[in-house]
Amino acid sequence: MRRILNLAVCLSWAAAAWAQSGIVGAKPGEFTLQDLKGSSVSASALSGNVTALIFIATKCPVSNAYNERMSALYRDYEPKGVKFIFVNSNYNEPAAEVDEHRKSNAFPFAVYKDAGHVVADLFHANATPEAFVLDSSGTVRYHGYIDDSQNPGRVTKQGLRLALDALLGGGSVNPAETKAFGCSIKRIKR
Amino acid sequence: MIWNVRLLFAAALLAAPLCAQPALQPVNETGYQELLAANKGKVVLVNFWATWCQPCRAEMPQLVKMEASLRARGFKLVTVSADEPEQEAFARKFLTQTKVPGPWYVKRPKSDNAFIEAVDRRWSGALPASYLYDRTGRKRQMFVGETALATIEAAIRKLL
Repeated sequence: MRRILNLAVCLSWAAAAWAQSGIVGAKPGEFTLQDLKGSSVSASALSGNVTALIFIATKCPVSNAYNERMSALYRDYEPKGVKFIFVNSNYNEPAAEVDEHRKSNAFPFAVYKDAGHVVADLFHANATPEAFVLDSSGTVRYHGYIDDSQNPGRVTKQGLRLALDALLGGGSVNPAETKAFGCSIKRIKR
Repeated sequence: MIWNVRLLFAAALLAAPLCAQPALQPVNETGYQELLAANKGKVVLVNFWATWCQPCRAEMPQLVKMEASLRARGFKLVTVSADEPEQEAFARKFLTQTKVPGPWYVKRPKSDNAFIEAVDRRWSGALPASYLYDRTGRKRQMFVGETALATIEAAIRKLL
């Protein structure tokens, strides 16, 4: 029994290790989200040559600190051809709440629900806000923060903008992995 | 003169609760390794939290209670706040009100990215997060996201 438990612990550590160090370069594959009326939407219908997938929340103060910055990102990069997929995977933030949050913050973009946090699991996303950038083949080219400070006055590195600029310019993304403090994605306890 | 003294005394009394709250000690990557080294010989749970993290605030009283019950057996709870400088006063107030044993730490690295990597390469930076170290200072388990106290306590008891 103890060996099985040890094995389970080792496997979970290995999975966590992959989650944090191996997602860039991986192709997570096709996935489906739900619009705020409950209809299914496939990722392929929302994706483009450069796609930014960003996990957000309604209640997380860190995610909310980025509301204006996310709107600015959308306004700056959507005209350049970047597709944005904003996702709420938190089990405790229903579609109606997400819709109210979207309206009250005047988001210029759509937000999708991720029922059962399937997409968060697929990408091994753990935090809000947490960003992934995919290229036209669906390969993850950037994973990490939007920028390096909750406080806009202390931002020194615009990780997501750098990644989008690099991909739009046909260059390589550097850094491709970044980290910042955020709220955990609220998963259903199994 | 007497009134001046009385005014000073009254001001000191009013300010006392704030001054009595110890400051949070800044910690960076090096400081983190030093605090782990200083606690070798104990089973240590490092809890990363922030005032903006509701689940962190919710679990803290339980962690404090558990620390009190296991302290005599060689357990130590270390708290590291991920609050920004402008949130530090709230962090001090919360730690005082929740009777969290000190010393209290607050992350103050040059780069949060490097700090998170130094604590654990597998960690995204999501809070709450706790890391469990054995008496030799070896990292034994991580708890990221909301975790039942019973799960954390069971892991600690195995190491005590």
